[in-house]
Amino acid sequence: MNGGGLAPETRTHLIRGCERIVGPEGVISAPDERRVYECDALTFYHRVMPDLVVLPTSTQHVADVVRLCREAGVPFLPRGAGTGLSGGATPDAGGVMIVLTRMNRILDIDVASRTATVEAGFINLWLTNAVKRHGLFYAPDPASQQACSIGGNVAENAGGPHCLKYGVTTNHVLGAKVVLPDGEVLQLGGKIQDRPGYDLLGVFVGSEGTLGICTEVTVRLMPQPEAVKTLLAVFRTIEEASNAVSGIIARGIIPVAMEMLDREIIKAVEANVQAGYPLDAGAVLLIELDGPRAEIEAEAVGVEATCREYRCLELRVAKTEEERALLWKGRKEAAGSVGRITHHYYLQDAVVPRSKLPRVLREIEEIGGRHGLIIANVFHAGDGNVHPLICFDLTTPGDLDRAIAAGAEIMKRCIEAGGSVSGEHGIGHEKRDYLPLMYSPADLAAMQRVRAVFDPAGLCNPGKIFPADGPAGQGARNLQSPAMTAVSER
Amino acid sequence: MPVAASLTDGLREIVGADGVFSGPALAEYRLGPATPNAAVFPRDESEVSRLLRLAWEEGLGVVPWGSGGHQALGYPPSRYDLALNLGRLDRVLEYEPADMTATAQAGIRLADLQRHLEAGRQFLPLDPPLASQATLGGILGGNLSGPLRCRYGTARDLVLGIRVAHADGTITKGGAKVVKNVTGYDITKLYLGSHGTLGVILEATFRVYPRPAAEQAWWLSTPELEAAHALAVRILGSHLAPTRVEMLDDVAARACGSPVRGPGLFVSIAGVPEAIRAQANDLARMAGEFGSVTTEDASAPRTRTGLNDFPWLAPWRDGKGHGAIWRGGVLPADCFRAIRAIHDAAREHTEVAVTASVAHGILRGETRADTTEGVARGLAASREALAALGGFLVVLDAPAPVRAQVDVWGPPPDGLGLMQQLKAAFDAKGILNPGRFVGRI
Repeated sequence: MNGGGLAPETRTHLIRGCERIVGPEGVISAPDERRVYECDALTFYHRVMPDLVVLPTSTQHVADVVRLCREAGVPFLPRGAGTGLSGGATPDAGGVMIVLTRMNRILDIDVASRTATVEAGFINLWLTNAVKRHGLFYAPDPASQQACSIGGNVAENAGGPHCLKYGVTTNHVLGAKVVLPDGEVLQLGGKIQDRPGYDLLGVFVGSEGTLGICTEVTVRLMPQPEAVKTLLAVFRTIEEASNAVSGIIARGIIPVAMEMLDREIIKAVEANVQAGYPLDAGAVLLIELDGPRAEIEAEAVGVEATCREYRCLELRVAKTEEERALLWKGRKEAAGSVGRITHHYYLQDAVVPRSKLPRVLREIEEIGGRHGLIIANVFHAGDGNVHPLICFDLTTPGDLDRAIAAGAEIMKRCIEAGGSVSGEHGIGHEKRDYLPLMYSPADLAAMQRVRAVFDPAGLCNPGKIFPADGPAGQGARNLQSPAMTAVSER
Repeated sequence: MPVAASLTDGLREIVGADGVFSGPALAEYRLGPATPNAAVFPRDESEVSRLLRLAWEEGLGVVPWGSGGHQALGYPPSRYDLALNLGRLDRVLEYEPADMTATAQAGIRLADLQRHLEAGRQFLPLDPPLASQATLGGILGGNLSGPLRCRYGTARDLVLGIRVAHADGTITKGGAKVVKNVTGYDITKLYLGSHGTLGVILEATFRVYPRPAAEQAWWLSTPELEAAHALAVRILGSHLAPTRVEMLDDVAARACGSPVRGPGLFVSIAGVPEAIRAQANDLARMAGEFGSVTTEDASAPRTRTGLNDFPWLAPWRDGKGHGAIWRGGVLPADCFRAIRAIHDAAREHTEVAVTASVAHGILRGETRADTTEGVARGLAASREALAALGGFLVVLDAPAPVRAQVDVWGPPPDGLGLMQQLKAAFDAKGILNPGRFVGRI
């Protein structure tokens, strides 16, 4: 689908204006070059080309472009690396896309205060690499960390496997320089903490680019742990593995990560990378501990005892860095291996209370069975953040509809179990119509009030997060069945 | 001022005759020059909602009230009709140890909540000043924290979801009851630290932590404050996982019970005993490198309380002399420079005592002088010293003559315009804690 169809004179005005601001090399207007930007990592649905793509190199550029859009009454949206999974960086109906990939410098590393300030387009993994020699690291580690940008992480409040112990992006962001939807530049938070005033930074993180565009981010760095210990336990059933997860927590142990792979994923992984998982296993649980050496040695004893208590078939402990990498290999390759078992899949991101995992996983399996679909699971078990991959084949008539129906049922069940629609992927365009499952009209109205304060004109990434017929309207159009957004190609 | 009879009737109709205080009983609700017309004690959230609805319709100024321990903070309310005491909303609503989450009402005292969590061998790692009386709502409204934030962060890191009554009585929720959630805006953060100006917190769901098997603490005394700071930075950048790293100047160290004279650090480590032992050895070695004398803290719980409550229990608060307490913030790396600058600024006629949570650059202090003018001058000079380092100072409590000379919140924060608009969007009539927060929000 092409952009929103700006009047030719508006388009020309914007192109000239943006060229003046960022230079001609930073403006992309030809349709074949804009096509790259018609979707984020949801490659399959709701493709909308922006009318114009601008690549600024400074906060001032961003502010000037935003002001230009605002004056022309044209919607705009930010985009980082485009690795988002909920259509948050896909235009709702055209407009100007502000791509921050050229803003990728480190601005400050303060070892004594353990903070770093980088531009929004800086890649997540670069950060840990840049501070490694100081004995520090940046904790949030989304699966796409080799490609995703810090600015995007802030927009989505990104998580990752290691968030069980360390928390998600919002727990590690100390400050952000943002361009508000009216073009004003404002520093939220900063290296100095607890300044009096409302926590504008707190509500900005995770606002999916709807409250403004962040151009610089200040993060907290953590000292590297003394030691890391990785264990892999193989279970007969996913139920026993889930109970082991709860059992470990019940012992007062908080591993840095607890990741689970179910039978279908094990099959896919083995077909693809031969991680050495037994094919008759019901579940594989990957557990990582970090911290002072003596602490994790004691914790490892507890973890092993718990896994045996829940009748694990096999327990492997990595003794070297190579062995650790091998244990993680299957987990890291899981999503990439799914192509071995299905043509297409529809990925979910719901969260349930940890203690409800066995029940919810059983229900997910039932839902799959009822719709005649295989549902594979690879997920952050410690957080209760499930990632069911609903397998289907687009060429089979009715399969896609069944996948969408199954996805909606899963989300509903997770909410009923006391959970949440999304743990780390965001609502974006994809899940906006599911928000009322969790929030009342009054709850949503309070959020919309925040939005209206930041963006009274409703031009900043419109059509995201809130239901299309939501209280403030935002002029969002329900272009397609929302569930289709999360359908990914293999 | 006598309560208008019709208003009292309206309040009694909502909360019952025993839920409305008036007359002399209101003395404890006094804020600066202002005393409310009534204090009300709702029994559940629907009564809170109806009370607010009434206040909204009548345009009454409402001050949400927990234990009152921190009500000295901020400007006096610009309009003060009702003290909304949440003390009867004091239940734990949900607690699932296996999920490490709990939901409790705002009026519960932190100490009672901790006792409840004890059943699951867990705790909420918040240690605000005056923790023995502090209520959950007050802690969250003020985003209060203590030395434990070194390891566990603040309410902002621990609260997962919240229920709030808005100025017009509407009840909404934000966040969720699970540990990970990015559904909609993280609106919970707005209410934390908003001092009750955006809504009345009714309940909160938070992440709780396993109670460590053991904990040990040490005083690391150094000849000079600078060495204490360098040692703190060394510890915080190392593989040690301390639960507290507090730096104290010599006056504060004495006040908090340090067994050795002079400035230094208070460091605690928690975990299994063998891990504490191993870390204690490393700690002693590091301390040696900085010429520090390490003494194990012999009176653990008392010291921790003393540290948490410093400087809230300062002697002048009992009418002995003149003084003020304050908090400040600087870069963690600047903690030493900040304290030295405050000492230098205070040299004339004032005496100061300062502690610093070095991991986060949080300072807490007390300023004393023979006269209130001296206190005001000392605060102004300290604020200037911190501002020169890019930091800030907030006066937490001071006598009225000092408040008349020093703005308790200091210069307006960046983004005040947005904050004022948010206030208007959430409380168009300005009835919730009106005039008390930054920019007289």
